[in-house]
Amino acid sequence: MIQCKTSKAIGGMGHSKKRKEDARFIQGKGTYVDDVKLPGMLHMDIVRSPYAYAKIKNIDASKALEIPGVIAVVTGKDLEKYNLHWMPTLMSDTQMVLPTDTVMYQSQEVAAVIATDRYIARDGKEAVRVDYEPMTPIIDPFESLAPEAPVLRDDKEGKTDNHIWHWEVGDKEKTDAIFDNAEVTISQQMHIPRIHVASIETCGCVASYNKVENHLTMYMTTQAPHAIRTVIALVAGHVGLTEEKIRVISPDIGGGFGGKVPVYPGYVIAIAVSFLTGAPIKWIEDRSENLQADSFARDYHITAEMAGTKEGKILATRFKVLADHGYTDASANPSKFPTGLFSIGTGSYDYGAAYMEADAVYTNKPPGGVAYRCSFRVTEAVHAIERINDKFAKKVGKDPAQ
Amino acid sequence: MEITLTVNGTEHTVQVEPRTLLVHVIRETLSMTGTHIGCDTSSCGACTILVNGRSAKSCTLLAVQANGAEIITVEGLATTEGLHPIQEGFHLNHALHCGFCTPGVMLRAVELLEKNPNPTEEEIRWGISGNLCRCTGYNNIVKAIQWASAKMQNKELPSTEPEFV
Ligand code: FES
Ligand code: FES
Repeated sequence: MIQCKTSKAIGGMGHSKKRKEDARFIQGKGTYVDDVKLPGMLHMDIVRSPYAYAKIKNIDASKALEIPGVIAVVTGKDLEKYNLHWMPTLMSDTQMVLPTDTVMYQSQEVAAVIATDRYIARDGKEAVRVDYEPMTPIIDPFESLAPEAPVLRDDKEGKTDNHIWHWEVGDKEKTDAIFDNAEVTISQQMHIPRIHVASIETCGCVASYNKVENHLTMYMTTQAPHAIRTVIALVAGHVGLTEEKIRVISPDIGGGFGGKVPVYPGYVIAIAVSFLTGAPIKWIEDRSENLQADSFARDYHITAEMAGTKEGKILATRFKVLADHGYTDASANPSKFPTGLFSIGTGSYDYGAAYMEADAVYTNKPPGGVAYRCSFRVTEAVHAIERINDKFAKKVGKDPAQ
Repeated sequence: MEITLTVNGTEHTVQVEPRTLLVHVIRETLSMTGTHIGCDTSSCGACTILVNGRSAKSCTLLAVQANGAEIITVEGLATTEGLHPIQEGFHLNHALHCGFCTPGVMLRAVELLEKNPNPTEEEIRWGISGNLCRCTGYNNIVKAIQWASAKMQNKELPSTEPEFV
């Protein structure tokens, strides 16, 4: 047994280090976003779609507005007047803040109710009547690519299918040649299903716009305050909120795991309403909203292959991937493509050649793909590569560890 | 409606609606934000408090149900003498990460140790099975409760230094 331990006086290696933040957490003195209370603060609750794909025929807010304490009901049409109904994603795609005509996934934001108190906001939400014309949703990415599938993103000019992007990397010719001549090849199809991070604290914010100083302070449960500030400026720069006029404060966070990187529509609606009313707006989602609408991880369909010799030497690998991104590509990989898939997929073994291709498609599901290191698709690669390695080892009669 | 609650030894008389949840009275009316809401459906235990000595999920209790009750929240664990052993145990054993679940787990553990001062690991794991922690995992939480159990019985304290394998 080797003990890597410095002396007690030096501390450090081999010694347990006590955390500084514990003192407040164990005494109930942390500040999570729902603990932030500002003078004059109003509460927001969100009306969500029960359908995964539907036309909105009408939104009737009159009953909600009759409730004492309900201040406003905001719809996509209201935001459209300020050109705030769409926002860009980090992947150069576009995402609705609130829809003007079509909802694209179950639990999508449809309208926001602003009220003087959390309970009244919820009453208002129950009282908003929305007429939908449901359509048949596409939830299978393979069906989504079929020629007869309806074009989901008909808001995009010239779009004729549900394909988002194609990406390929590696040496196709060399890899194919190795596969053609290999003594042993194996292939494995796998679906790594959608999962949700379910951090114990849901998402939320307090958006506080100061009209006099034209300055926005945004308290939010975010893991990426700087990126968020840039995105807010991209969405709202044209109404005067440029980066230097925005301060994002990320207080104590009740877990993130990547699920607190994206900009959710609720944040933008809260900002828009604070901008228009001058009042701080608090929005805290509940658990069912969090699980249904927030960013997911995985949803990758992979066909992975391995080629090698009878003796068990691995020679090449080949991946074909179908990536289900939901109705918009809202991942957060700086490289635009899931590069971890290749670098990790080829990182653990000595391959003579490798080739991977991935296609991303739209379906009627919430956007995301930002969770558990998911944008880079590292975990998917590790899973796929080890699974085909096991299968290959079995076929040549060796221990996978050899 | 008017109700009276004794929270951490102080009596409060507050106005509530019949539908107001106890957790909202504690967090919003009384501004004690150490009690958290993780799910509002009785699943996670982040809102756990002690009501007349019994642990309860305050997101699933109406405030009116607690009329006249003695309530302890995380803010009431430490005294002028110092931290409660369970708080010390959590800190020394790295039993928290984001800290959002922590108040609920600690209060549940306080009740557990009161009823069963010397629980086995299995009893602890069953005992806190109504509390979810999404970050830390439960090993260190179990150790923290074992540490507090030893401390509360003036027994020899388990080491909190890393183990070498
Ligand atoms: S908030 Fe009460 S159990 Fe989760
Ligand atoms: S410490 Fe984060 S959920 Fe338990």
